[in-house]
Amino acid sequence: MKDLNFEIIAAAQDTGGEAAAGSWYDAAKATYTTLIDKQHAVSSAFQLTNVPMGVWIDEKGLVVRPPETAYTKNQTLKVGAKSIATEGEAYTAALRDWVEKGSASIYALSDDEYEKRVKPRPDNEMQAEASFKLGIHFHETAQPELAAKHFQRAQQLHPDNWNYHRQDWSFTPTEAGKKWLEKFNKQQDPYYPKLELQPK
Amino acid sequence: MLARYGIGDMEQRLNRRDWLALTAIAATSLRAAGTAKTTILFDDRATVLATTKTDTAGLWIRKSDLPQVNGFEVKPQGACRAEVCIPLPKTVRKGDWINLTGFAKRAGQSWVSEGNTWSFTEVPILRASYLRSRVAPEFAVPDRKGRIVKLSDSQGKKRLIVTWASW
Repeated sequence: MKDLNFEIIAAAQDTGGEAAAGSWYDAAKATYTTLIDKQHAVSSAFQLTNVPMGVWIDEKGLVVRPPETAYTKNQTLKVGAKSIATEGEAYTAALRDWVEKGSASIYALSDDEYEKRVKPRPDNEMQAEASFKLGIHFHETAQPELAAKHFQRAQQLHPDNWNYHRQDWSFTPTEAGKKWLEKFNKQQDPYYPKLELQPK
Repeated sequence: MLARYGIGDMEQRLNRRDWLALTAIAATSLRAAGTAKTTILFDDRATVLATTKTDTAGLWIRKSDLPQVNGFEVKPQGACRAEVCIPLPKTVRKGDWINLTGFAKRAGQSWVSEGNTWSFTEVPILRASYLRSRVAPEFAVPDRKGRIVKLSDSQGKKRLIVTWASW
């Protein structure tokens, strides 16, 4: 889709930086823009709560589709009695349609629909953000105990934000899987919300 | 104390000298606390300030440091950034100083501090263009070679911003 005046910007939400994310970009033989987002700046800007998530932005810098799960393949992963389903084929077909047709695409959301999907951060999420950024700062300045304290505070204040949990768990890799499974099993909502490519 | 130990005239004078010395030490350490090096986090940037003060009203910084902390500038009508001005009552501005936590309260920011490090969230009013007018918020994030990539660098193209993580 390169000749269609379209650019993919991938942002690794990795406080571990190039050391954590670089080899994945290499393995993917990435030909798109590859960012190393140690501060989770992109997630903060668009209020993202999991990965992978995608946002479509037009030529003028306006948001065509606010954040949603962005997979490229259809997969169903059984996890105990539950499962995780990705809807990558429908998502990439919709993306292709918009890249070709622009605002005439049925997947370019109306203002009304946009307003339904984009909400200001409530107070608990604001507080959580403040602590998460403090956690990253202490991680980067080699103060792991203070980092852990504020990463935990962020998770308590905004429990639905998987990025806060998983970034923190990544620093204790032997326990990360167990912690993920525990939280996943407790969660009522699907791990990846069902895509609403067109308004209901 | 004096009565209990029956301290004589000489001892009393010594005591007084000790007290004066202790007071001087205390005053020095208080001043030191008032000018501690402070790190302020805002918009994924850490600003280190050599001169700040804290009191019951929170964190005070020099007015002249405000622009480097969060892009706002103190003007007669308030603290302003582009077209946005947030009025500053007298309680949050004193001489060369501005109460940064008082400003944050008025701007609707959240914050948390740990020791001399303060973390402030986004200013909600600056988010209005994203929430209401669909303007994608700007970001500036390094690529693998450390070059800063801004969203606006690719203005004029359709873009998919997609996040992922190694964890």
